[in-house]
Amino acid sequence: MMFGDRPLGELMARAQAGDAHAYRTLLEQSGRWLRRYFGGRIAPHLIDDLVQDTLASVHAKRATFDPARPYLPWLAAIARYRWVDQLRRGYRADETLLRDDLAADPIDAAETARISLDALLAYLPDRQVMVIRLVKIDGLSVAEASARTGQSEALVKVNVHRGLKRLAALVEKA
Amino acid sequence: MMNEDFRIDGLVADLRPVRRLRPARGFALVTAATLGVVAVVAVAAGLRPDVAALAPDPLVVLRSAALVLLGVATLHAATAAARPSIGEHRHGWRWALAAIGLFPLTAAILTLAGAPTPHEMLSAPMIASCLVISLSSAAAILAVLLAWLRSGAVTDPHRAGWLSGLAAGGLGSFAYSLHCPSTSIEYFAVWYGLAIAISAGLGRLVAPPLLRW
Repeated sequence: MMFGDRPLGELMARAQAGDAHAYRTLLEQSGRWLRRYFGGRIAPHLIDDLVQDTLASVHAKRATFDPARPYLPWLAAIARYRWVDQLRRGYRADETLLRDDLAADPIDAAETARISLDALLAYLPDRQVMVIRLVKIDGLSVAEASARTGQSEALVKVNVHRGLKRLAALVEKA
Repeated sequence: MMNEDFRIDGLVADLRPVRRLRPARGFALVTAATLGVVAVVAVAAGLRPDVAALAPDPLVVLRSAALVLLGVATLHAATAAARPSIGEHRHGWRWALAAIGLFPLTAAILTLAGAPTPHEMLSAPMIASCLVISLSSAAAILAVLLAWLRSGAVTDPHRAGWLSGLAAGGLGSFAYSLHCPSTSIEYFAVWYGLAIAISAGLGRLVAPPLLRW
């Protein structure tokens, strides 16, 4: 950690009271911390946007910070929320994009989000990954996924549920 | 980095003093809503005679206390969820939920021991009254709680939804228990349990889209 957490909490407390100088210092230091936080989690060219989105969220939700508690866990919770949101948006965009677009731009944001999620999916058993891809990403019905994989419909539901639960736990730990 | 500096300039220029979000305020709002709902139930449906006479049946005291305990414990966790944090999840509400679980356990033991099924267990008008009053009370409380949570920054909307639904279900059922003519453990276990479960499911269903930010 490059800076003590306690002073950051004090800076935010002063910012909540309207102290612009304290707020600027806080945002600059938070921006640096966020760059490191997102560094291993998302493609480098997406970091700027994600840092800015997160700083905007810090601004919008600054009233939720409690000066009696440490600042970094608060900032990290917001950062993680924005990160997961970014991954989700990447997937949604991916579903509406033409494949030609991806071929023309190999470092497309949606593709990067897919890579990030692929990294998480690698921790899951194949049977869960298969049905999560079919049902949650490709949009197949449970019956179609069952026919495609040979798993019973009940098993498809169980594997999707268990897989998503495990994914959520992985994101929680990330 | 230049772009980020520009963005920070904008955020600093937009800085205004803010009033800190306090979970105690959300707690107080929901408590007030619960008292309001109790008053409406008392006026519209009427209190049990023993409750009105301040000499309630022991089971009414027990179930009401258990419901309030569930409501308060889950409400405490739900309002705390309005502030982002990592590694600070409150789990005390699980003990209150376990305490409620003693009622179905007792009912099951009574049934296995051959106790006769209470007549109100299958009384359609009573069941309808139970579910309508409990769930409409829970819905009103849930609406107040979710409206307050929207002013916060919930980072786990699914968990907050379950907790909000459980809190509203516990407190809404408490309002109904002050009217409920039954003093049967079996009735409480099945129909109150169903009302709380439906409320929890409702919270899980409606909270995530409402709490997204």
